[in-house]
Amino acid sequence: MFSSPAPTPTTATAPPAVPPARAAVLCGLGGWLPSRVVTNEELSRRLDTSDAWIRTRTGITQRYAAGPGEATSDLAVAAGRRALRSAGAPEADAVVVATTTPDRSCPATAPLVADRLGLAGACAFDVGAVCTGFVYGLASAAGLIAAGVAERVLLIGADTYSTIVDPEDRANAIIFGDGAGAVVLRAGSPTEPGAVGHFDLGSDGAGEELIMVAAGGSRRRPAPGPAERPDGYFAMRGKEVYRHAVTRMTASARASLALAGLKTDDIDRLVPHQANARILRSVAQELELPPDRLVSNVATVGNTGAASVPLALADAAARDGLRPGERVLLTAFGGGLTWGSCLLTWPALGPTIHPHDGGGTPAP
Amino acid sequence: MSATTYDRLVEIVTTVHDAPTHRISPDITFAQLDVDSLTMVEIGMRIERDLGVHITDDELSEDLTLGATSTLIETRLGQ
Repeated sequence: MFSSPAPTPTTATAPPAVPPARAAVLCGLGGWLPSRVVTNEELSRRLDTSDAWIRTRTGITQRYAAGPGEATSDLAVAAGRRALRSAGAPEADAVVVATTTPDRSCPATAPLVADRLGLAGACAFDVGAVCTGFVYGLASAAGLIAAGVAERVLLIGADTYSTIVDPEDRANAIIFGDGAGAVVLRAGSPTEPGAVGHFDLGSDGAGEELIMVAAGGSRRRPAPGPAERPDGYFAMRGKEVYRHAVTRMTASARASLALAGLKTDDIDRLVPHQANARILRSVAQELELPPDRLVSNVATVGNTGAASVPLALADAAARDGLRPGERVLLTAFGGGLTWGSCLLTWPALGPTIHPHDGGGTPAP
Repeated sequence: MSATTYDRLVEIVTTVHDAPTHRISPDITFAQLDVDSLTMVEIGMRIERDLGVHITDDELSEDLTLGATSTLIETRLGQ
């Protein structure tokens, strides 16, 4: 027989007994870009395009490229180190890497990153949701913390699209850039600044061919001999993706706002996946958000995949474009198709090093 | 081609694209107005949202005139 008292009978009107919720609270931020800048001028010498053409279509003036032999984990480690420094302690018991360009198809990149950051033994895994990866990663981190699996999560969005985009592909070579951005999330209360919540995540696999690397996975295995050139490269159906990106990010942003009982007017900063300046403008217009509340760094870094949202956050924080107390809405869209949004109130953080500042300390 | 549909199309085009107003006419094509492919997608999205007509990205060619586009919209509306 149990000696504990009988459970209180529940009635239809009694609220369920809810334990005090544990939320994931953002407490560190860092971004890192490789040292090589690829300007529109450089691309114009190599491809049938021009600076004016690229700027008009994409709003991008330059992007960064990893050097020969530089892998996604190298960028992830550099960004992760900066985020841990900003959080005030080089500690985390979980490391999540959101990426579409892992170092290898097996194993995941996160364990290696954890080890190189002195976090060996931590729970470590990758999240694959293409350009929505960082928002999916935030939800995963929030889940790890809420379930008591982790106290402190290092979440890194890192991609080296230069390794999967055909250098001769005019449409994609102008858009994508390499980079990494990271945040540290600690266990805290849902009501404190920095707590991430009101997630809206979704997918539509019927659109998998819109954004795709056709070969190299189990569907079309790497075969001996020379690969069919285009199939091994990243491909994107631009017009359809443009349409989906605008409608999905807009709808998802609205869904997050609805979960929180908020309106566009309540948002101080919208930080969308930095796909292309025109997509961002279009999303802001659809949401009827004043343009000065849109956070964007796509002009100087291009589309950096899973790194784009944390890099935009780091860029804005370093330039005083994000202030404590501001209500921030994150939204993203990517291959899958996938999309996601969430909300947080910007916390007071330590100084953020600007991602463009190489600092002379690239990853060892 | 009814004036209403055409006028609403012109309103959409001038909202998303900086075309000189004096060049807008039923006989001019999107290409002649220097509308690029992504702007065509935006125009298509706004036609769908504001006029309730879905025109695929392939149908909405840059070589269509504004008049022909207006007629296409009306055909879809069953007018």
